[in-house]
Amino acid sequence: MRIQVDPKAPRPVLVSPLGGAHCIISAILCAVRNSVFSITLLLFLAQAVFVLAAPTVQSFQEGQPQPPPPQEQPSVPPPPGAPAPAPTPAGPLIVLDPAHGGTDSGARGEGGLAEKDIVLQIARTVRAQLERQGYRVLMTRSDDSNPSYDDRAALANAHRDVIFISLHVASTGIPGTVRAYYEQMSSAAIEPSATTTPRSRSFPRRPSNTLIVWEQAQRPYLEASHHLADLIQLQLAQSFSASPVTSTAAAVRTLRSIMGPAVAIEISSISGSSRDVLTGSGGPLSAAIARGISALRPSSAEVK
Amino acid sequence: MPRGMKIILAILAVAVVVGLVSLGTLQRRVQRLRQSQMAEEQARHAVLAPPISTPSDVSVKAQIFWSGGADKIAPVPLNLPLSADPVQRSRQLIQALIANPPSDAQRTLPADTTLLAFYILPDGTAIADFSDAFSSEMPSGILSEEMAVNSIARTLESNVDGLRRLKILIKGQEVDTLAGNVDLTGFFDLNSNLGVVPTAPNASEKGSQEVFGDACGVH
Repeated sequence: MRIQVDPKAPRPVLVSPLGGAHCIISAILCAVRNSVFSITLLLFLAQAVFVLAAPTVQSFQEGQPQPPPPQEQPSVPPPPGAPAPAPTPAGPLIVLDPAHGGTDSGARGEGGLAEKDIVLQIARTVRAQLERQGYRVLMTRSDDSNPSYDDRAALANAHRDVIFISLHVASTGIPGTVRAYYEQMSSAAIEPSATTTPRSRSFPRRPSNTLIVWEQAQRPYLEASHHLADLIQLQLAQSFSASPVTSTAAAVRTLRSIMGPAVAIEISSISGSSRDVLTGSGGPLSAAIARGISALRPSSAEVK
Repeated sequence: MPRGMKIILAILAVAVVVGLVSLGTLQRRVQRLRQSQMAEEQARHAVLAPPISTPSDVSVKAQIFWSGGADKIAPVPLNLPLSADPVQRSRQLIQALIANPPSDAQRTLPADTTLLAFYILPDGTAIADFSDAFSSEMPSGILSEEMAVNSIARTLESNVDGLRRLKILIKGQEVDTLAGNVDLTGFFDLNSNLGVVPTAPNASEKGSQEVFGDACGVH
């Protein structure tokens, strides 16, 4: 079928009931569309520039036994008047792990409160206070990045004589209480190599000349972790009323590959406490951690 | 100021006003859509998880572990028709755990959670496969996640014989964590008598026998 068009025929004209007003409205709508498009384009370009300028997170390649640890940011300087840290501190290296980060916000509270931000702020406070007491401290992240569980473990495992403290804020629980957790593994999966490694309540030596299963690297340190968690929990119970007096066993993902005493500390809760209350817990928290470590390793008290 | 500039500014001002007005409308529409989606999800949940009944069902006083406070779980006796078949019995128990908490405050699993499948291997390993809602709607935190896993483990352990350990899958897949904290790559010990703490006074008044605030093993 072929359609013939007569060129001499008059062109169809759209007739609007509003007459001339229609043209004005059309022009305004067109301008609005263009302006909205321009604003969207500008926002998109700004976001692209921001993303390109942001630092990239190193991804952990499986099969590499010792990936390079994440970049360590300079520590928060102590406030004026504070005693200077020991120049060559001895004792264990404390690895502070502010949980979550990046796109993983963790627990969410009202008004955009996010666990990842609160734990980072608490970790900075704890780090400053522990360093002031002479401890060597590293953090698994110092910004809004999200290292993988293996990256965090690799940073800790790259050093000897490490104590790993993971910091969390809960969605639930009695507000104002704090719990210390140690890793619990199934009895069904105990491997002979893991059971024969020497254990000590205080601080077991890292086993030498033995292959260690990455997923169960924490196993030889379970008893030491339990002991440390109990010591810290006892201190927490004195600073945070209604907190339990003994620590809790839990399958915390971030603890299972740590080669050293490892404890997760969780503050309750993001839904029942304000940002100031939560971040203000950094002081008592660092005191409890320091006392717990001193009790676990009496020699570490010498650095104070 | 040139006339053209005035016109452009006026048009931009109108655009901003129109944008603000349409933003409010858009928010209301998103809210309505979200509510309708939730209603659909609940309706789908009712269709996907109908009550399970088998010929061997016998009314039993089961111990279902729901939240017994802000930071612990506690058993609640509940009369349930339970099958003699351990797989069907386990499915009935988990469905009761999801659907019948005495109050919202005692809920340990998200309301939209669905048990997609349940198997028991010959070595006593129970495999529970949950819908995505179990993970995506779970409040993040060691405490809440551990209470959720514990409520499942303790409910199964108290009412089904012969189970040794529990494996939790999400939509048929092994996932790293439940909601960012608790490790789901391993197994949870059952019948290990771990984590028993003394009975809390308020729990015993309600007829509860034990209060569990601790974890079962994993890996």
